[in-house]
Amino acid sequence: MTTTTMKYAGARSGLARLCSHPKVVIGGVMVLIFLLVALLAPWLAPNDPNAQDLLATLLPPAWSEGGLAQYPLGTDALGRCVLSRLIFGSRIALLVAVVAATGTMLLGTVLAILAGYLRGWFDRSISFIVMLWMAFPPVVFSMMLMVGLGTGVSNVILAVILVDWTRFYRVVRAEVLVARQREYVHAARLLGFSHLRIMLREVLPGVAPIVITLFSLEMGVAIVVEAILSFVGLSVPSNVVAWGVMLADGRDQIYQAGWNLMAPVVGIVFAVLAFNLLSDGLRVVLDPRLRKRGSE
Amino acid sequence: MMPPVLEFKDVSVSVKVGEAEVALLRKVSFEVGKGRILGLAGESGAGKSMIGRVISGLLPDNLRFSGGEVRFQGQTLTGRLARSFLGRRIAFIPQEPLSALNPVYTIRQQMYEHMKHQGLPRAQWESYCIERLLEVGLPDPADLLGRYPHQLSGGQCQRVLIAMAFSGDPELIVADEPTTALDVVTQAQIVRLLRGVQRKHGTAVILITHDLRLAAHVCDEVAVLYAGDVVERGPARSVLDAPSHPYSWSLKMATPSLEGEQYVLPTLAELMPGLKDMVSLVGCRFARRCPTRNAECESRLPRLEPVAEGHYVSCGGQCRTAAGSRKTEPHVLPAPKNALGRPLLELRDVSMTYHGQGRRRGQVFHALRPMSLSIAPGELVGVVGESGSGKSTLARLIVGLLEPTGGSVHVEGVARRGASGIQAAQMRETVQMVFQDPDSALNPRRTVEALVTQALEIRRDIPLAERGRIAQRLMGQVGMALDALGRFPSQLSGGQKQRVNIARALCVTPRLLVADEIVSGLDVSVQALIMNLLLELNRELGIAVVFISHDLSVIRYLCQRVLVMRHGEVVEQGETESVFGNPQHPYTRLLIGSVPPDDADAVWPAPDGSEEGIVSSEQVLECQS
Repeated sequence: MTTTTMKYAGARSGLARLCSHPKVVIGGVMVLIFLLVALLAPWLAPNDPNAQDLLATLLPPAWSEGGLAQYPLGTDALGRCVLSRLIFGSRIALLVAVVAATGTMLLGTVLAILAGYLRGWFDRSISFIVMLWMAFPPVVFSMMLMVGLGTGVSNVILAVILVDWTRFYRVVRAEVLVARQREYVHAARLLGFSHLRIMLREVLPGVAPIVITLFSLEMGVAIVVEAILSFVGLSVPSNVVAWGVMLADGRDQIYQAGWNLMAPVVGIVFAVLAFNLLSDGLRVVLDPRLRKRGSE
Repeated sequence: MMPPVLEFKDVSVSVKVGEAEVALLRKVSFEVGKGRILGLAGESGAGKSMIGRVISGLLPDNLRFSGGEVRFQGQTLTGRLARSFLGRRIAFIPQEPLSALNPVYTIRQQMYEHMKHQGLPRAQWESYCIERLLEVGLPDPADLLGRYPHQLSGGQCQRVLIAMAFSGDPELIVADEPTTALDVVTQAQIVRLLRGVQRKHGTAVILITHDLRLAAHVCDEVAVLYAGDVVERGPARSVLDAPSHPYSWSLKMATPSLEGEQYVLPTLAELMPGLKDMVSLVGCRFARRCPTRNAECESRLPRLEPVAEGHYVSCGGQCRTAAGSRKTEPHVLPAPKNALGRPLLELRDVSMTYHGQGRRRGQVFHALRPMSLSIAPGELVGVVGESGSGKSTLARLIVGLLEPTGGSVHVEGVARRGASGIQAAQMRETVQMVFQDPDSALNPRRTVEALVTQALEIRRDIPLAERGRIAQRLMGQVGMALDALGRFPSQLSGGQKQRVNIARALCVTPRLLVADEIVSGLDVSVQALIMNLLLELNRELGIAVVFISHDLSVIRYLCQRVLVMRHGEVVEQGETESVFGNPQHPYTRLLIGSVPPDDADAVWPAPDGSEEGIVSSEQVLECQS
């Protein structure tokens, strides 16, 4: 009832509004930590992640019996420092997360806006392709792609993009279908705006919140996919440090040296949780439909 | 003497705003006796729905019941007690009939759920439901029970909800704007029905409405609310005939009348105070907008004082005796000027037909049957009809959002189809549209300045600096302050949004504005402002207006000529005064008969069957579904 006048109070700055949600703050701080670790890896890591100390293989963490202070989280079967590998592994994870998520976002969103706005045969054909695309089991699909493309970080990214762009397409297209029926889109047409301009200036800003939210969710997904592909040995060459590679290496000594497996798991959980928290918080903060207009 | 069914004694409800405590209801007192109808009238923000919340015991958590007493059948009504009475002794009829029914259940399932709540034995449910549905005038209830809400019209849904509300034989029914979402004809039927069933059962009813005229005709007593205060209370007729509070007076005068002489709609400055403003308003909350306030008004809290038998007014000023008889200047529409010249817009045998696809292949739906229309420069043309009558299709055809399937549209003599690029651009600038829903029509991510000068974005010949100047000129034209330019639509009130909406269309200096139901979602005082603005634009800039509305009185105030539409067909057209004064088509007569008249003594709605003669209510129902 009294919302009309309450709305005048709602002129807060964007950043303050973003920080109003605890999930955004917690997720944001975790993402920031992840970023810093990845960027500062050479200075943070105590050892060279690929240096082998064959006299000190499968050492336990420093705090348990038999551990060495030189290797805070112990060593793996080849005598490499687990902590250093964990820290350096975050770089690949970050690279894949950012680039793959950007790629899926661009591909999915562009097609979604075109299809949702133009409708007709373009929409029908793209939507059919997406339906077909999504029928493939994603893990098998990405493994098939990796076999075809060969290993390497850029191919992992390509595989993630090719598998996951449909997620963006589906969600964003649904939003575009709603936005294009808005009267302000009709109004823009009456003012003589071209279709391209309407898509960019009227439709895109309306779907931007959902795109940002999906983007941060997709970063978490990309990290998991990269880990899975590394685990099955279809991701990066063995001289590149990645969490999935660590998982695969640690699997053989799971009974003797469980920490070898635990370290990358913690890394993956931390990173994915960070992005998911951030995305969940952003969804609430950025979605105008969920925004409360002051109290009753 | 029997105690009243419901009694409010100095009830206050308050909310904390920062440190201060603000009363959303300030010492509200009224009572409803058995078999009586009390109307609560006021605009949005007046606290009407808050009273409903108090009665249902469902106050939001942040609100506090801060004083007074609610008595139901002589006993004090607490929140817990009220909740236990819901559906049995106290029933509600909601505002939006379609959203009040759960779309995934059939009517039968929803009514049975209600019967279960009443504690009726299972064996009687079916026959009881049918009996109740027959009572609210729904033919073939057995078939209706098996249907889903979306298969019914709005009027039918509201009838089902009324049947459900009365099914427990409650002692009190609270109807919150039960007809606002419905067409005029349906409104009259629902009101007639509500009163009929209420009389039969002797139920006490509280009718919440924004329409003072409707309240006066339906209710025995009316209380006018403003910002949480009861400003006037009394017998319905005397409140409508002689509104003594300046606010009730402006509320009455802000709705144009359908008969007799017309007066310029009075407009109030500023807005109804919101929560933040209420903190500083200790005295009369209306004082700041009151044209006849005196020095004491803002500091002294006025009390309800009697002005006539049972008629109380809460006003400290001297205005209260004068208000009832006061009139504004007479309003006369200018005669159409150069009607003989080249028409600005011409529709030649334009029609719009849709062909069914898929399962409906072969079916043809006529959204608009062939019609012709020509509009002279500066002319004010109204289009009236119920939902589904083809009004909006016509609007979209005129502005070019839709291509007609038959006939042709000519703008300043040039056919739209096959026009060259330059001609098409000119046509767009000549004919502009103001959209219905200001929330949907304004992109929430643009500032007001970017919105009103949106059209200039594709014009390279206008430098950026010029845009600011144009925006300022437009704001002046629609009567808005310049400081709103930097705001976003969500920071504006409904009336301000609608002005921005109009300003955007004015940016390209059109010669014809098509306004599709642009005042229907607004409060009456805001509606008056927007209508006066349109008339001013017509007077000063010579802009022709096609005004589309379901509200006949609004059309009469604004338009020189009117088209009455039904089922995609123009059933009657002519000069507004002659069409409304002497309607020829039975449908026009039905529409006019459905509007609550000014005269408080007139019987409205007319008893069933008398005025409808040719178009029975069944037929009307049928055409809606």
